[in-house]
Amino acid sequence: MTEPGGRERPLTVALVGNPNTGKSTLFTALAGIPTRIGNYPGVTVEEKVGRFTHRGRVVDLVDLPGTYSLRPQSPDERVVADVLAGRMPGVPPLDCIIIVVDATNLARNLFLASQALEIGLPTVVALTLGDVAADRGIAIDTAALAHRLDCPVIPVVAPRGTGIETLRDEALATSGRPRPRAPDFASHLAAVDTARPAPARDAIARYAWIDRIAADVVQRGAPPRQRIADTIDGILTHRLWGTLFFALVMLTLFTSIFRLATPAMDLISGGMDAVAAWVESLLPEGALRSLVVDGVLAGVGGVVVFLPQIALLFLFVALLEGCGYLSRAAFLMDRLLVGAGLSGKSFIPLLSSFACAIPGIMAARTIENRRDRLLTILVAPLMSCSARLPVYLLLCGAFVPDVAVGVSWLRLPAVVLAAMYALGVVVAALVAFVLSRTVFRGPPQPFVMELPGWRWPQPAVVLERVREAAWSFLKNAGTLILAMSVVIWALGNYPKPVQPDPSMTEAELQGEALRQSFLGRAGRVIEPVVAPLGWDWRLGCAAIASFPAREVVLGTLGVIYNLGDVDPGEEEGATMLVRRLKAATWDGTTRRVFTLPVALSLMVFFALCAQCASTLVVIGKETGSWVWPVVTFTYMTMLAWFAAFAIYQVGTALGW
Amino acid sequence: MVSLMPSLAQVAVGRTAAVVDVPGADPVSLRLLEMGLTPGVQVAVVAAAPLGDPLELEVRGYRLSIRRREAALVAVAT
Repeated sequence: MTEPGGRERPLTVALVGNPNTGKSTLFTALAGIPTRIGNYPGVTVEEKVGRFTHRGRVVDLVDLPGTYSLRPQSPDERVVADVLAGRMPGVPPLDCIIIVVDATNLARNLFLASQALEIGLPTVVALTLGDVAADRGIAIDTAALAHRLDCPVIPVVAPRGTGIETLRDEALATSGRPRPRAPDFASHLAAVDTARPAPARDAIARYAWIDRIAADVVQRGAPPRQRIADTIDGILTHRLWGTLFFALVMLTLFTSIFRLATPAMDLISGGMDAVAAWVESLLPEGALRSLVVDGVLAGVGGVVVFLPQIALLFLFVALLEGCGYLSRAAFLMDRLLVGAGLSGKSFIPLLSSFACAIPGIMAARTIENRRDRLLTILVAPLMSCSARLPVYLLLCGAFVPDVAVGVSWLRLPAVVLAAMYALGVVVAALVAFVLSRTVFRGPPQPFVMELPGWRWPQPAVVLERVREAAWSFLKNAGTLILAMSVVIWALGNYPKPVQPDPSMTEAELQGEALRQSFLGRAGRVIEPVVAPLGWDWRLGCAAIASFPAREVVLGTLGVIYNLGDVDPGEEEGATMLVRRLKAATWDGTTRRVFTLPVALSLMVFFALCAQCASTLVVIGKETGSWVWPVVTFTYMTMLAWFAAFAIYQVGTALGW
Repeated sequence: MVSLMPSLAQVAVGRTAAVVDVPGADPVSLRLLEMGLTPGVQVAVVAAAPLGDPLELEVRGYRLSIRRREAALVAVAT
């Protein structure tokens, strides 16, 4: 089987282990960048396969999700059990299993190892974090452990590459060998009360067996460095210092997503503008140019611009996860979020959603519990993202009177702006609370979470996380978002106006074209629906056109109220737009369109609606089902409509 | 089942107790057994989160966080 020559089929080797055992680092050390990343059929569990060649033999390394037990309870555990049993469609039967065992935490790691050994496939144990164990005064007799488990035990320090070659050799050699003896704990099983359910007896007997092995192979000396880790832990989970540090970390994270990403985002949008200008110089004026510039570049460019934020967020999350802080953050925040039916692990995804819901929804991958993850994904788009900010800024600045609230320095526009952010948070809490007691009702979700030891994040693993997040985001932008932008462009440009009046200005021509387009017609069809919100047909039209992304609404408002394109970043354009909006009247009357209640209803609508195609696409991708984007869009649009209706009606009644 | 034995939820922060049993047959009890909270094992309650819940435990040489509601499933002897 190990003879040279490339004619043999690739070996399939699975990497199994508990979470936080250095499994990802080991995967990268063995196989490098994964050759295939996707989902297992029918579930949202990530499939990661890496291919490497060792001594002329091609090996496919399957990285299985980290689990504590093979008794399948969660989708992750079911996938691991199915792959190991050779029942997973698309994954060939395994030639060998590599069990990752954390030397600092031998007993609990041997629990999963003992279950994996029972499968009866050729097996190698990779003993990781031996260096950390040595620092803590833990010594493991690997020869004795190999003898007790009846399989090779290879100590590896993956970040330094120690033991990797030996592990590859062993995986190759072991693949041809007979199955190991299954661990025998019949005597321990007999000692447990037979009235107990089988899984409970099994767990108790397994640990009795493990305790016997550990007593023989583990030697504990004086732990010289443990005190430092304990001190760090003591401070970072402390009632006061822990909370303060947490606030500091989150503040840094939040500010960086906004600030550090800005230069790169400016660069991207500048680049997009340059490409657009280049295309304009290249193509003759006409439908094709308009499609490329106004459809493809405007649509995709508006989304790709968020790439730096996504990369930065995932860099932070990977660093925090790598050093062990992410689970401490979940520990600190859990009680607060439980009140709303969420869990501590929802915190980072929700916080990130203030920058952009897309990285936030992607960050929800760190939540293992499916129900908590879905709930978090469903409410994440309610957090006011940075794309809503230009809309808020324009409307607050133009239509909210600049008067003092209580004290002279506190102005009403700022209060309204803050209220928009608060609105999202409050509504998200309410929605999560209601959903967790209706649709997602069920037994309370347990919170059993390991707080891994403090360690340095592994650069290779961190970079891989960032690369993967960025790539999967770009793939979306290049496909579905592209298609969506083209559709909206076509609706806004066709059919062409029948006989344009030659005396019209360029801006008026654009306005007339939009009026006669499908989009303009749709706006007039939905007028009865948006009229109770105080909107005229043109605002309805702008709302439809902003389906790909909220910030598009500014450009559309500019076009539709006859101004030509408006760049939300340009101060001068915005004031021009403001003047236009202030002058706009209902068709054929002198009644002003924009009053304070209308501006408020528009802001409230945009605060709560799901007008963001990218978010919906990502929800579909992350949940593995088109049901959830539809649910999200429906509930958010309904909420947005009712809230906008309420604020407009109340505002009008009070004579604002 | 009404137990007269103290549960892990009643153990003060900073104290250590020995697990007597996790008697339930529900998924959470089984998961706690699988995580190593088996009869006879020593558990230290290292800390509680700022709002009093969840708890940080040390068991079998590692740190585990569970809520008080889950800790109540673990019968201990102090």
